[in-house]
This record gives sequence, C-alpha cells and structure tokens, in this order.
Amino acid sequence: MSTAILDHVGFNLPKGYARRALPGFLTLIAMVLILLVCGTIQPRIWSQNGLTLIMSPIVALAIASMAQMVMMSIGDIDLGIGFFVGMITTIVATLLRETPMLGVLALAGSVLAYALLGALVQLRSVPSLIATLGASFVWLGLGLFVLPVPGGAAPDWLFKYAFWKPPLSIPAPVVTMVVATALTWFVTRRTGLGVKFRSLGSNPVALMRSGGSLVVTRMLAYGTVGILGVLSGITLTAEIGGGDVNAVPGYTLTTVAAVILGGGMFTGGRAVAWGTLAGAVTLGLLTVLLTLLNLSSNLQPAVQGFIVIAVLAGRLVVERMTR
Amino acid sequence: MIKLRNHSIPPWTWSFLAAVIVLVLTYMVSGRGGSQTITLAFTVAPYLVLVGLGQMLVMSAGPGNIDVSVAKVFSLGGLVAIAVGDVTGSWVLGLGASVGVGLAMASISVVSILYVRIPPIVATLATSLIASAISLTLAKGFQGSADPVLKSFLSWAPFGIPAFAIVVLLFTILVSLILKKTTWGSQMLAFGQARRAAEYAGVNAKETIVIVYLTSGVLAALAGALRASFSAPNVELGNDYLLDSIAVVVIGGTLMSGGRAVPAGVWGGALFFILLDGLLNLIGWSYAGQNVLKGFLVLAVLFLASGAPILSRRVSQPTTDAGNDEDEAEPEIKSLS
Repeated sequence: MSTAILDHVGFNLPKGYARRALPGFLTLIAMVLILLVCGTIQPRIWSQNGLTLIMSPIVALAIASMAQMVMMSIGDIDLGIGFFVGMITTIVATLLRETPMLGVLALAGSVLAYALLGALVQLRSVPSLIATLGASFVWLGLGLFVLPVPGGAAPDWLFKYAFWKPPLSIPAPVVTMVVATALTWFVTRRTGLGVKFRSLGSNPVALMRSGGSLVVTRMLAYGTVGILGVLSGITLTAEIGGGDVNAVPGYTLTTVAAVILGGGMFTGGRAVAWGTLAGAVTLGLLTVLLTLLNLSSNLQPAVQGFIVIAVLAGRLVVERMTR
Repeated sequence: MIKLRNHSIPPWTWSFLAAVIVLVLTYMVSGRGGSQTITLAFTVAPYLVLVGLGQMLVMSAGPGNIDVSVAKVFSLGGLVAIAVGDVTGSWVLGLGASVGVGLAMASISVVSILYVRIPPIVATLATSLIASAISLTLAKGFQGSADPVLKSFLSWAPFGIPAFAIVVLLFTILVSLILKKTTWGSQMLAFGQARRAAEYAGVNAKETIVIVYLTSGVLAALAGALRASFSAPNVELGNDYLLDSIAVVVIGGTLMSGGRAVPAGVWGGALFFILLDGLLNLIGWSYAGQNVLKGFLVLAVLFLASGAPILSRRVSQPTTDAGNDEDEAEPEIKSLS
C-alpha cells in the first residue's frame, strides 16, 4: 500500500525503504515543528549565535545516540553509556589536558575495554543489557577516581573548538553533529564492516556461514561504540568546560529513546544514523522548548515523557494508514 | 560430567555462594563473628528484594520486557506515602496511597506498551520521567515524617531477626508458589519462553503483560513507601534501585530472555549486594573503589554463572551453538517490538 502511494506520487523506491525511513522521517517532522515553535516564541534563535546556543548541548547527546544506534544495530543495548561518557569527560578534563600522551592512552584503553566487553557478551552468551550495566558501575567508579568532585578544565584546543565560528554563518554544533552522523552512516551502511554489524543483529548464523567471526564482529562493534562514546565525551567536555562523571547519567535511556524515535529496533539489523540524529535533536530541543515556554523545570521530564509517547503513537497511526 | 551439569545445581546457588563468600570475608576483616552483620543486611535487603521481585516478574514475561521506571516510582511512592500519612494521620492510608500511585504509574506503562506498541524499555522510561516530575513537584517544600509505629516495626528485630524481613520472605515464598503451582504462573512463564506458542495455546497476552507490570509498579511504590518510613522520603531515594534491581535479579539466576523466574535468587543477589557494600565500607574503600569492584564482581558472576558452559560442549556441537540460540529467540523479539 505504501509503495502504491509512493508510485502514485512518482517515486519508485526499494520495497523496504519506506518502512525503514518512515519513522525517522516522522521524527524529523516533529523536530522541525519544535524548532519552528521555538523560533516563533523567541525569534532571536534564527542566527548563528542563537542556533549555536540551543544546539551545542545536544551535540554530545547526538553522538552518544550514534553509539547506542550501533549497539542496537547488532541487537544489543548499552545501559552504561551515560556513565561512560561521564568518565570520558573526567579523563579529558584532567589527563588529556595535563599529560596528553597518558590521556590518549587512557582513551584508547577505554575503547579497548569496550571491545573486551563485547568479547564477554559473545563468548559467555551474557545478555548485553546486564553486562553493560555491570560495566557502568566500573565507569562510574573510575570516573570518581579521576575526579572525585566535578572539576578540571577542558584542554585549550577544545576551548578553541567551543568558540569556533564556521563560515557562511553555519552554527558549529550543526557541523559537528552532521559530520559525526555522516561518518556513522558511512561505516554502518556503506562498508563491509557495517554489513557485518547488521547481519550480526539480524541473522548471526548467516554471518557465520559467510565466513565472518561472531566474536571479532561483536568486538569491533563494541569498539566502535567505545570510539563514539569517547567522541561524545570530548564534545561534552567542550560544552561543560570541565569533567564530571555524573554529568549525564540520563543519556543511557535518552539515547535508547532517540534511536527508537529514529526508527531503530531492539532486534538489531537496522542502522538508522540520520533518523537517530533527528531523534536526538528532537529530544534535546524539547528541553529548549520547555524552557522557552517558562514551564517549571520540575514538570519538564513529564512533558518529555508524554511527547515521546505521543510521537510514537503518531507513528503507529501513520503506519496503520499507509499499510 | 556432562550429565551432572545437565541436572545442574539450582540457578540461585551462585548468588548465595557469592553472598556467603562476602560474609566470610567480612568476618575475617572485622576479626569477629556475630549476627550483627547479618541482622543489618536483613534489615536493608527486603526493600531491594521487593523491587527485585517485581522486576523479576517483568523480565520473566519474555525478551524485551524490563521495567526501568522502578527507581522513580520508588521515590514517588515514598513521598506520597509520607505525605498522605502525615495529612490523614494514618500510615495505613499512606501505604494505600503509595499502592494507588504505583498502579497509576504502571498503568501508563501498560497502556503505552499494549496500545501504543512502544517497546517496554522506552514505555517505562516515559513513565519514569512522568513519575520523576510528580516527585519533584511534591518534594518542593515537603515536610512530614514517618509514622513512629511503622518506623519502629521496620527496625524491630526480635532475636536479631528483623520482623519485616520475615514478612518479605513469606511474600517471596508466596510469589514462588504462585509461579510454580498456579495456572497463571505456568502461563506467564510459558508466555516468557515462547510468546507465540503460548498465545496459540490460549494464554492471554494482554492479561499477562498487565499483571506483571502492575505488580512491578505496586511493589516498587510500596517498597519506596516502606523505605521512606524507615529513613526519610527523598526525591533521590530510589536512584540506586534501578541498576541494583536488574543486577540482583540476573545474578539470582532469572533469565533476561524470559521464561525462568527465580524468586529465591533475588534474595541471594540482594544479600550479596548489601553485604558487599558493608564489607567495602568496613575496609574503608571510597565510593569510587566500591563501584569499580561492584562492577567487576557483577561481570565476574556473569562470566561464571551465565548460560554457556565454561568447559564447553561445543566440541561435539560445532560452533553453531551460540548462533542457534539467537536465531531461535529472534522471532519472539520481533513480535514484541
């Protein structure tokens, strides 16, 4: 039915495409609507500075959501990403600033730790949910070791990035988010590695029969999640100007919501980088909108919860109509 | 050897073994035995057990089912119980109110899961956001303290055995019996093992989902109310209970993929976690070190106790072992999300 409608309009898309892209497209519409409402209430956001201001807190969330998207594309869920990103900020704000060599080693070690976690999940058939949950205690503890109280300072080059103004009055956060998303999209959708990730999520037996190694693939996927987590932590350090392991524990679940809004599935096999970006920006912009509406900050979580339900309900209705 | 492994030890063994090891270590470190450590553990553990039992029921209802709203519902239950108890002067009404709040919050999850078809983790996340907003609003200028009668009951420990722990223990046995002996229990577990097969066999999917999530919500809110009466209500009272409840349930031997519920294991897991906190406090580890060790222990228990055998039988069954598992589980998950 949906393809019939599209044919009528004149498009001729691959069969699965509409089903895959529709949820992300609907989320994109929600995102644009929220942005328009924000712009109507406060026209000053339509400038490079204004957009930078409202978008910069979302960058780290968007990249962390990419990490969660990669995780969900192989059929796993990461319940430790919030504390992992927090831990990275503490490393960036101390080690990387004072002794860059050691800092880089620490960051590489974190990525390696993620890959090892992937090996544990695969070799011992441990549910990813609980393995990453256990790891989240470790991230929290390590972060507290590095910085018992929030503090430290971002390295100078990060400060430069924070005040960077790209030409053509494009807001810097948008550039960062789009580049990160494009890279993730390329790796997950246009490389052999991405095909392996997705087949690990949708049909591991097929992956094995085609000569791929389940353990190596899962380790590579977890390593990718680790790299994206590190990038998210670096951008977050630029945003908050220091390190704090408890900065964003909420990311853990918000990123899952972002991926779902973007059209991802818990069963794996689906990598939706651009949809996830739309999902993350929608969730991030909600906070801006609620602040602009002068809503008590206590009520903000409730409105966020209702809007997540509303968007997904809207998707259900649209899917029923197009079927 | 293989035969022994197949008949195998009960799934809750590992959690109790871990708890006993920690207990022995505690005795060795403190240099004296005595029931005080155990009494303390049994005073604190029941709250985690109550939340854990709810989480266990939810997880047993099949892959993808999880309740991430327990932490916020816990805090909200505490605040509501104390507030209502303070206004009406009756702690019974306070507890009743917390049960009501738990039901209301869980209903949001249930409606989202069944009618909006949102995956449970996102649905309960939305519920958790709503509960947290209500808690924050309630907590503004909150005053009120727990009823002294209830408070003294919760810390009452005749002969070193906390009375409240006995109550929760009886409740655990009740849950265990319901799962083993009643039709509903078998239906729920069958539903968790193979959703579609169970539905063809006449199991009511909606009813199962409704009951497990409502139970989880009520237990979380009630545990929160009791915990708040034991110490003091607080918006952040429940925060630790989300990760801990999931961890103790899985350490206790309940399968995350559903279909096997181990109520006894929840006790083992909870005692393990609480004794471990006590031990680490005793030897003066910082909060940071405690978390690192806790994390590594969870991973270690997973490594030892998880599904795949360590001395693998894969030699006889070539590598398709792991793949087949996931393959079989796949259609079930698909129908859920």
